[in-house]
Amino acid sequence: MITVRNLHKWFGELHVLKGVSLEVKKGEALVIIGPSGSGKSTLLRCINLLVQPDEGDVIIDGVKVNDPKIRPEWVRQQVGMVFQSFNLFTHLTALQNVMIGLTKVKRLPRPEAERIARFELDRVGLADKADAYPAQLSGGQQQRVAIARALALNPKAMLFDEPTSALDPEYIREVLDVMTKLAEEGMTMVVVTHEMGFAHNVADRVLFMAEGVVVEEGAPEEIFERPQKDRTKAFVGKILG
Amino acid sequence: MDARRTLEDLWDSLEDSPLHRTAIAILSLLAIAVVLIIVLANARLISLGFMADNASFLFVPALTSLAATMISFTVGILGAIPMGLVRSFGPRLLKQRGLRAAVAAPVYGSVTSYVEAIRGTPALVQIFLVAQVSGILFPGNPDIPFWGGVLALTLNTLGYQSEVFRAGFQSVNQNQIEAAKAIGMRPRQTFAYVTLPQGIRLITLPLVNEWVALFKASALLGVIAVPELNWAASYLGSTRSHPIEAFIMVSAVYLAIIIPLSKAVGYWERTHRIPGLGTPEPGRGRRAGVRRPVPAH
Repeated sequence: MITVRNLHKWFGELHVLKGVSLEVKKGEALVIIGPSGSGKSTLLRCINLLVQPDEGDVIIDGVKVNDPKIRPEWVRQQVGMVFQSFNLFTHLTALQNVMIGLTKVKRLPRPEAERIARFELDRVGLADKADAYPAQLSGGQQQRVAIARALALNPKAMLFDEPTSALDPEYIREVLDVMTKLAEEGMTMVVVTHEMGFAHNVADRVLFMAEGVVVEEGAPEEIFERPQKDRTKAFVGKILG
Repeated sequence: MDARRTLEDLWDSLEDSPLHRTAIAILSLLAIAVVLIIVLANARLISLGFMADNASFLFVPALTSLAATMISFTVGILGAIPMGLVRSFGPRLLKQRGLRAAVAAPVYGSVTSYVEAIRGTPALVQIFLVAQVSGILFPGNPDIPFWGGVLALTLNTLGYQSEVFRAGFQSVNQNQIEAAKAIGMRPRQTFAYVTLPQGIRLITLPLVNEWVALFKASALLGVIAVPELNWAASYLGSTRSHPIEAFIMVSAVYLAIIIPLSKAVGYWERTHRIPGLGTPEPGRGRRAGVRRPVPAH
């Protein structure tokens, strides 16, 4: 579903991604872990072209998307993204947040867009918050609306960029539950997270990144219980205490 | 004790109701004006009879002032939105190389120079300049003072409004733009459905400020023979030798238009505020810390 080949990205002098490759099959959940500054977020942003890669290929469903002939807007409709800070549109209600991509980007008629939006809000358990503005919702509720907004466009895959890092501890569970349900339903997912419990229980594979390269990759048990590389051992040891 | 509590309750209800606060402010202002006029009339400094006889003379000039302001302001908004866009996003395009920067540089440069030129020269000078040029271009045309004046005010407000819009667009959080991109919006859609609606809400009050400033600047059009309010006051003052009364009356007309308008927009802004967007209402909860607890019965 998603193939990344030898990806490089520079920010000025800073070489953030140094030849990253990865493969996510249809229906698979890949969790990316690693210390901050290792390029995880940049990698995720390169997949939906919020950041333009400097070298290498991003291939989604057989199409090389980092190609001048491909419109980035089209790519972003294929791949949903959930941000660390939710990024809900502050001037729109929860329902309008989920609807706007359907009416303005996909140009669906309003009644159909509203039907889909209400369905997606219901799926994340927020049917009763349709008319609330983001500022009136808890962090966990905002993040669930953000997931509904991405799902409404019926993406082929979902990218999660540290979706629970900005949440108070009591709200982390509800967001992870929604994500777990999604993975069980067979959504293709790439998740950058520090939630090791989620990585352990939900991920099909875990990928450890450091300093812009993939250090090690494997099933959750392999990475967490039998890491091969020293850097992985050190990181996992620190995280699992 | 009971009297004090009643007073505190009254104060609390005032603080909670913008409408009541506004009404009290306007009534106090009217009371002060009435007292002032009675004192002046008793001291024989002004003649109430003259004011009553000539009040209706100000009706058409008031409409002229309003029309000039409204037209300039509306045209100004239409021009200021694209200019504000250039001002806020131009610098980023300049950093890119190639064709984009080659197009952006002259556009950004000319808009910025225009804004600086308008803000750096007196409105009165701008009005004289436009009047001279339009007088040469259309000699003898009787509509020229008014439309030349409207043009001058429009050029003036464009400079200020484009800075208001620039500030509004730049205050829209970058994560909002990123979210719009992530659901596949094109730059134009992002602007129309996210940046513009959020930016406008952030600048409602500064825009009203600019309207008020422009309405008062329209008083300058009298000097190029536009029969607006200030011109009417000078006319009444010099031809009927009652200048103090004339200028008091005109002041009252300005206040009667500006205060209700700015209060009405302020009230609309408060009641239509979207939670979490823009600055919280000033003064709210100022007394919250000292509010006495509800007694348990």
